[in-house]
Amino acid sequence: MTSFIIRRVLYMIPMVLGVILITFMLFNVVGGSPASMALGKNVSPQALEEFDEQRGFNKPVIFGWWTTTRAFQERDVQEPVLLVAGTNYPVQFLFPLRPDSRYRLRVEVRSKTAGATVRFQTNAVIAASSVLFHDDSQRWKWIEFQFKPIPRAPGAGSVLVSVEGGALELRNVRLERRMPHCLDSQLVHYFKTLACFDLGTSLSTNEKVTTMLKRGVLPSLALSVPIFFGGLVLAVGLALVCAYWRNRWPDRIFVFLAVALMSVNYLVWIIFGQFFMAYKWHWFPIWGFESWGYLLLPVTIGILSGLGGNLRFYRTVILDEIYKDYVRTAFAKGVSPAGVLFKHVLPNAMIPIVTNTVIALPFLYTGNLLLESFFGIPGLGGLSINAINSSDVDVVRGVVLVGAILYVVASLVTDLCYALVDPRVKLR
Amino acid sequence: MEEHGQSLWREAWRDLMHRRLIRVCLGIIACFCLVALYGEIVYRYYQFVDRTPSYSQVNLSERYLPPSLLRHPFATGGDNRLWSGVKAMAYRPLGTDNLGRDVLQRTIQGTRIAFLVGVVTSLIAIPIGVLLGCISGYFGKWVDDGIVWLYSTVESIPGLLFILAISMVVGKGIMGVYLGIGLTTWVGLCRLLRAEVMKHRDRAYVMAARSLGYHPWRIIFRHILPNVFHIVIITFSIRFPAAIGTEVFMSFLGIGVQGEPSWGIMIGNARLRLWQGVWWEMAAVSAVILLVVLAFNLVGDALRDALDPRLRSKES
Repeated sequence: MTSFIIRRVLYMIPMVLGVILITFMLFNVVGGSPASMALGKNVSPQALEEFDEQRGFNKPVIFGWWTTTRAFQERDVQEPVLLVAGTNYPVQFLFPLRPDSRYRLRVEVRSKTAGATVRFQTNAVIAASSVLFHDDSQRWKWIEFQFKPIPRAPGAGSVLVSVEGGALELRNVRLERRMPHCLDSQLVHYFKTLACFDLGTSLSTNEKVTTMLKRGVLPSLALSVPIFFGGLVLAVGLALVCAYWRNRWPDRIFVFLAVALMSVNYLVWIIFGQFFMAYKWHWFPIWGFESWGYLLLPVTIGILSGLGGNLRFYRTVILDEIYKDYVRTAFAKGVSPAGVLFKHVLPNAMIPIVTNTVIALPFLYTGNLLLESFFGIPGLGGLSINAINSSDVDVVRGVVLVGAILYVVASLVTDLCYALVDPRVKLR
Repeated sequence: MEEHGQSLWREAWRDLMHRRLIRVCLGIIACFCLVALYGEIVYRYYQFVDRTPSYSQVNLSERYLPPSLLRHPFATGGDNRLWSGVKAMAYRPLGTDNLGRDVLQRTIQGTRIAFLVGVVTSLIAIPIGVLLGCISGYFGKWVDDGIVWLYSTVESIPGLLFILAISMVVGKGIMGVYLGIGLTTWVGLCRLLRAEVMKHRDRAYVMAARSLGYHPWRIIFRHILPNVFHIVIITFSIRFPAAIGTEVFMSFLGIGVQGEPSWGIMIGNARLRLWQGVWWEMAAVSAVILLVVLAFNLVGDALRDALDPRLRSKES
């Protein structure tokens, strides 16, 4: 048993790592530029760079010495530019470079005549550098120029690429910044911040994500715990009714109703509930979060909308048990139908029910996305929806990450409970 | 083998067609597909002639027309008097919305989107699930460990949030809906197939194929997959309505379909007018969603009962 627990706990580590990696992949690798997503398109490159600096998005993704900078947009020089002797190509920086880092300019060039020389000139610590081409082989070649800028010096805002003694073409101009350390990457930064339980700050409110999460948990739980347990009791009760009159008319009606309930869209539930029960018939308050009365309607809607699926699930669970030998034996020795159902069948059916319950617990914490935003309950669901609408990356990532880790923990607890309750579970 | 396999499908089909309710549901699904096809043709036509589609055309003089089948019962005109008379009678049969747009036409376009979402997300999710499930079930060992790790990780991320986060990252639009739903909903199928393939791995016919020296791919996809394919069919019929529901939800939130009438956008629009007593747009969309999803759910259930009753307890 101990070794089972240890192995099961150790198994959590790859899961948590996987969750962290997936959120990292999603928001840092696939996501493109969170800065322009958050700040919009018409922002200065400097503002974007500052945003990236603050959140560590301007580091290499996983590993590397060189990282991109927004001081020069590569796409400006996509088509080859022809430079003849005596002309130059200025690479203008959009904002002053950082004096504490080394930069490099990479250019792909192709000489048109033999003996062409490329010179890089800028007001920097390494002032000028040149590359001589002896041949006129029409091959594209990468050349690079490293420099360390001097702040506020005249001419530090650009690099002049000039050509002497021949003609050549250049394309793919890239400016990159050197990192102080090759492991100083986004991934490491992400792990570091997570190790300090720091989930970043919200863009729209500039608040710590952790405090936002803490504040939202209670309203979310106030909504989802009653929905969950109310729904559970109601569904198991109705499932017992169905199982008792199985394949007769109460069962048929309930099963059909369950499918019908499942088929009503969640939005429709909420809109009709709010419109009729609150607005037309004045049974409940429409919107807000002031006393427990405000929770009644969302809880009712939540229970109703989940009832169909739950009822079907628990009905099959109970029906699975009801055809077993011990039930027949119990009937044969004269136990009353209710006795069989409650004393024999229900405890055995409890195992899948409990498993299903524990595994659903972490989803309570995000609450109900829609219910919260419709009824103005300041929980995590409403928070996430707002964050998604305003592209608030850190908040979304925080909610997703915490939810996933809670799920991993809950599945551990489920397995342990299962092993404790049911001795037949093999402890491999 | 071949004959037995065919008779399973034929038997299942006969089972389905014996029940009147299921026949009705299959009819509804067929109508749904045809309407979606019609919507696609209309959409392509307006794209081709490069005009604002009539279902997006703002017509402020006809705002809030209630539904009516006899709007202009005696109006006739034009050359073909019978046809134009019928057209005038059934003008805007489901009414118009706050911008004077025809609710019926918009619902048809919504049907087109829903159909696309159901099909495309299945085309993303089902191949992933089938491939990973079969591979991990057949090869076992570290391949299995890796795939189990992958799907348990994906599974542990709260579903709806994961979908919304993916579509946020991909960008608002129908592509985000496709990828969000498609990349997260393959886990159930993968797990079911893995368990089933594991059972088949040591059966005699697989042993025979292996001893004949067939390549594992051939064994998996030519020999095992046809024997577990009913799981794919059942999963498809179950996930289709779920995908439609999710799309409605996402479009309602404004991160789904952009600039085209989808059911979610219509609900979001109609919701604001409900308070003014404009009920028809809401009612039309809700009824259509209910009908389609109910039909799919009932057929899915019946399929499951006919093809593999054991699956009932394995998934909710």
